[in-house]
Amino acid sequence: MNTIRIWFTKEGDASYISLLDLQRAMGRCLKRSGLPVWYTQGFNPHIYMTFTCPLSLGQESLVESVDVKTEEESPDFEEWKNRLNPVMPGGIRVTKVAPVVHKGEEVAFARYTIWTRQPGGEEAVRAYNQAQQLLVEKKTKRAVKTIDLKEILPRVEAHLEGDKCTFEAVLPAGKDLNVNPTLLLDSWQEAYGFPARNWNILRTQLYTGKMEIFC
Amino acid sequence: MLDPKLKQALAMVQKPGRYTGGEPGCVYKDKEKVDLRFAFCFPDTYEVGMSFLGEKILYELINAHPNWWMERAFMPWLDMKEQMEQLGIPLYTLESKDPLTSFDIVGFTLQYEMSFTNILAMLDLAGIPFYAKDRGEEWPLIIAGGPCVCNGEPVAPFFDVMQLGEGEDQLQSLCAQVEQAKKEGISKEELLLRLAKIPGVYVPAFYDVEYEEDGRIHAITPNHPGVPAVVTKAILKDMNAYKPPVNFVVPLIGAIHDRAQVEVLRGCVRGCRFCQAGFIYRPMRQRDAEGLDQAARDLCANTGYEEVSLTSLSTSDHSQLEELLDRMNTWVEKEHVNIALPSLRVDNFSESLIEKTTKVRKSGLTFAPEAGTQRLRDVINKNVTWEEIERTCTIAFKAGYTSVKLYFMMGLPTETMEDIEGIADTAHRIVDLFYAIKDKPKGKGSVQVTISCACFVPKPHTPFQFCPQDTMEMLEEKQAHLRAAVRSRKVKVNCHFSDISFLEAVVAKGNRRLAPVMVEAYRNGCFFDGWDECFHYDTWLEAFKKCGIDPAFYAYRTIGLDEITPWSHMDYGVTHEFLVREYQKALQAVTTRPCNKACSGCGANQLLGGPCFEYNQNLVH
Ligand code: SF4
Repeated sequence: MNTIRIWFTKEGDASYISLLDLQRAMGRCLKRSGLPVWYTQGFNPHIYMTFTCPLSLGQESLVESVDVKTEEESPDFEEWKNRLNPVMPGGIRVTKVAPVVHKGEEVAFARYTIWTRQPGGEEAVRAYNQAQQLLVEKKTKRAVKTIDLKEILPRVEAHLEGDKCTFEAVLPAGKDLNVNPTLLLDSWQEAYGFPARNWNILRTQLYTGKMEIFC
Repeated sequence: MLDPKLKQALAMVQKPGRYTGGEPGCVYKDKEKVDLRFAFCFPDTYEVGMSFLGEKILYELINAHPNWWMERAFMPWLDMKEQMEQLGIPLYTLESKDPLTSFDIVGFTLQYEMSFTNILAMLDLAGIPFYAKDRGEEWPLIIAGGPCVCNGEPVAPFFDVMQLGEGEDQLQSLCAQVEQAKKEGISKEELLLRLAKIPGVYVPAFYDVEYEEDGRIHAITPNHPGVPAVVTKAILKDMNAYKPPVNFVVPLIGAIHDRAQVEVLRGCVRGCRFCQAGFIYRPMRQRDAEGLDQAARDLCANTGYEEVSLTSLSTSDHSQLEELLDRMNTWVEKEHVNIALPSLRVDNFSESLIEKTTKVRKSGLTFAPEAGTQRLRDVINKNVTWEEIERTCTIAFKAGYTSVKLYFMMGLPTETMEDIEGIADTAHRIVDLFYAIKDKPKGKGSVQVTISCACFVPKPHTPFQFCPQDTMEMLEEKQAHLRAAVRSRKVKVNCHFSDISFLEAVVAKGNRRLAPVMVEAYRNGCFFDGWDECFHYDTWLEAFKKCGIDPAFYAYRTIGLDEITPWSHMDYGVTHEFLVREYQKALQAVTTRPCNKACSGCGANQLLGGPCFEYNQNLVH
């Protein structure tokens, strides 16, 4: 039995598919592709699928992945990719099918490109960079704890291009600490008044705890 | 790339996936290169609309023409409607995200009366004037199809064209005419005159309605030469000539019925006197098992669905159902597909049938006796007897079923308190039956019987169109009586009716005078009327008052057998004489045999140009 990782983008229309819906949709896409994916055994067999570090609704990504199993001895990865792409929903493009290197739980950080065309974005970035501290409350399973975002992300670099203001951020995305970019942007909304929903969020890379590229 | 305004709106609403499109199976074309753009509008939520088979049929048919493009629009839920209004986003289709005003044709499907105000809401969101008379050449052609067109008079003034009957051929003819008209550059009036010649096409503006002083209709007359006095519905003579759709748009966020559906037959042989669908889709026509099996298989392969349902008004009346199931059972397991059989009937539920479906799935049993006593079942021509219920439940209980859901109606013509007690009685007898069976599978020791009651709404084109609806007070009294009559803890009663069914009755039998009431109600916040939480009865009553219309006139009045009804210029194949005959038989509790056993001469065979069935062959199993 081989476990293989299907890498895909999740952009545009597809950024509004929740994890639960994505699981069902991906199952149907795999079924339509006719690829020899492995079904769980038992009374109600279904396709084995594990998603890595799922995104929040409305965010986009170039580096989503789902692990499936197959009894094929040496799967032709290029063939898998070519059969999957035509059956995917709009906004989902399979970029790579590959053997699993890291375990899903090894993900520790994620890189995001965050941008807006609404006036005021640059000022919000500047205000953040000048701040000494930005405390936010973060709900975990057991309790609410306060963290200082400035400790995690001391400053960000704004790039301006026409009316577009862009910055990059690497944030914890592991099982011990996970800082969703919306946590950052919501806190900016509260502190500097720039509406969080005006930002666009694109995930561009995942890293392990040793800052190796997750693959 | 999503429009920034749309992105802002989507960030603020529940289930944004309702508004994005991009589902597998969705059709994209180059809008610069197509000759005709069609926006198919479903006046309810995405999840409701995406369950609807009719849209899938037409989506595949129209999009099969390379130079026509059909796209989809749905009614946005309250939160999205508000965002769209605030941000100035006009109602758009999910595929191109273009506003409805960029289309040649905007078509609505009329599935139930309580969605009519959503049509106004959708037109309003698109910035399109409500009344056909207020729309000049520059506006898209606004059309309607679907079952409620059979009395679409309350909304007729809003539409340029309404389509009676089955859309497969008709809609393609209509699109071809519109494409031609665009090329020739003819006026809308000229186009409408051409369209009126297509079978089943009704142009409301070409008919004048005159009223009596008391509100009844005096006459309905065409006001243009060459326009038929009576419009006869369009029909497919041979279902096998039309393959069911083998591609569906597969919703990403789910739908009410999120599964593959194959339409095995159209129409119904039963002739239940309350059922509008049973009359307006006559005669019953079925598809052959072989083609259905292939279609089901293709559809499952193309969509990836894990369940396929064999849909129709009455699937167990298909004469080759067992053969079909046998064929399907050769591949479903391997392909990881379940078969679902909705609308199973009590009276021809056989052991082998139960086996063929439970092999893949076992769920609760549902039956619709509709009335609690044999007398009342005879009145409504629901040919179900206690012996049949008993036989079916016995089979099912022995096979391991432990829950039974029974559907009934309240407020049926001639109903008395004795009939209400009969509902409770039927449930009690099923409970007793369960405990009397000794050889049940182990671990299946307890039974649950659920009584589900809806309120009867008299509908046009049925023998009960003449009957008044029960008043709310009468219905409440009956409901209290039923609850008092239930003695067993194994029996649960669900009665869900409210003022909505009164309004439904008013609109169902309404005329054009209701159009301004609809506009008034919509302007004051009435839409999504079919959703309990959105229904504002008082606002509706005020709208009626303001327009000087008495709703009781439509719901609570007996219609004379010789009266001209608002729908008398719409011919669904069933003659007026037949409806009168059936009504009179109903009052005497005399039943009528199903069409596949004997023809009772309703007139619908005229649509086919020959008899509906070959009676030498026994089609009933
Ligand atoms: S003509 Fe006869 S068989 Fe045909 S639908 Fe009418 S009653 Fe049924």
